[in-house]
Amino acid sequence: MTDPDLGPRRPEAAPAVVRPERVEIDDLLRAVARGDDSAFARLYDLLAPRVFGLARRVMRDPAQAEEMAQEVLVEVWRTASRFDSQRGSGLSWVLTIAHRRTVDRVRSEQASADRMQKVAAASVHVPYDEVADQVGTRLERQQVRHCLDGLTELQRQAITLAYYGGHTYREVATLLDAALPTVKTRMRDGLIRLRDCLSVEVTS
Amino acid sequence: MTSPDIHALGGAYALDAVDDLERAAFDRHLAECEACTLEVAEYRETATRLAEGSWSVPPRRMREQVLARAAATAQLPPSGHRRGLPSPVARWRRLAAAASVVGVLGIGAAATTYAVQEQRLDDQRTTVALAQERADRIQAVLAAPDAALHGGELAGGGRVTVVVSDTEDAGVVVLADAPAPGPDRAYQLWLVPDDSVAPVSAGVLPAGQVQATQLIEGVRGRAAFAVSLEPAGGSPVPSTTPLVGISL
Repeated sequence: MTDPDLGPRRPEAAPAVVRPERVEIDDLLRAVARGDDSAFARLYDLLAPRVFGLARRVMRDPAQAEEMAQEVLVEVWRTASRFDSQRGSGLSWVLTIAHRRTVDRVRSEQASADRMQKVAAASVHVPYDEVADQVGTRLERQQVRHCLDGLTELQRQAITLAYYGGHTYREVATLLDAALPTVKTRMRDGLIRLRDCLSVEVTS
Repeated sequence: MTSPDIHALGGAYALDAVDDLERAAFDRHLAECEACTLEVAEYRETATRLAEGSWSVPPRRMREQVLARAAATAQLPPSGHRRGLPSPVARWRRLAAAASVVGVLGIGAAATTYAVQEQRLDDQRTTVALAQERADRIQAVLAAPDAALHGGELAGGGRVTVVVSDTEDAGVVVLADAPAPGPDRAYQLWLVPDDSVAPVSAGVLPAGQVQATQLIEGVRGRAAFAVSLEPAGGSPVPSTTPLVGISL
């Protein structure tokens, strides 16, 4: 970014509760875009467990997830200059790259039938890894769980099968034995309900 | 290719629950709809909150490896000053720019990742240029103003989607969920000039391959597209009944 953002951190206007870690990630991404490798090392510490965790949850194979996480994190280094805080948080930018790539990889490597068989596993509750946990992360989890609980069963299943299972909405429709338009709609209105519950905002 | 209900796809799109062609179609829809762009940005932001529950500490060695790989990787220069949400063109470019770490090429339309993975099996060095060219062609077809989307089910299972553009004189074929073709058999793609002329091969998938994103050239004036099962390596003319025929 060539903006004046390069200067001192902008005053954080707006949302009542700003998660300091998220703000730090945005700042670090801007520093990384300028080639700051110590900022990248710090960014690694903040992002690696999230990127690896997401890849592992979707891919299920730790070795593949590790390779994917490496790829995504190096990609973050390479394309940091493309991050635009006007379009959303840095964390979301990174996790969007991570999710899309992971899902693309899973779909290109596994036959659909194969994945269908994993649905039983994917759709039941997956135990969270017992790993270094942070208070902030724990609170976030609780909030996400709480908001997921506020969805209808079909909304929740459609969203989690897609996001954690890496399934297309067509596959989700088959899995849930629901009509395609219904699944599309439930994904959308489920996300709207989650968005409101989590108070997600993107300022443009 | 914008259909009336494409708007409803926003949720699935934000969850990456669409296939490559729908993704490309939706990207184009976003280009025409500023409000949708913001809406989808919010869905994305929401979707990524779901990742928070999946925290997992990676192996210690990974840190050193990533930092070393980064140190050896050139960064993209800033793409200039932007305000607000990017234009569709910028978004396409940005997607195109998000190339993979092996430096082969990016996720232009995600269609191209498949292309790359196939290509990687070959000698990487010599295929880089070809892969890039092919990815550019695929993107050009998907982004063409006259791109038209067709689809059909294969007899015996699987789905084929074809996007053709007359102005590009090319098409993109996505084959998904097809059953394994059996030993030494392969799926072959055909373009049919018209009823009285024999079909022309538009490419053969590697033996045994059941999904692919394939570029086909020379679609202008073709009446139909078809897929058949042939001996590995393909046949000069179809030797079996087409599994699917799609009028273009």
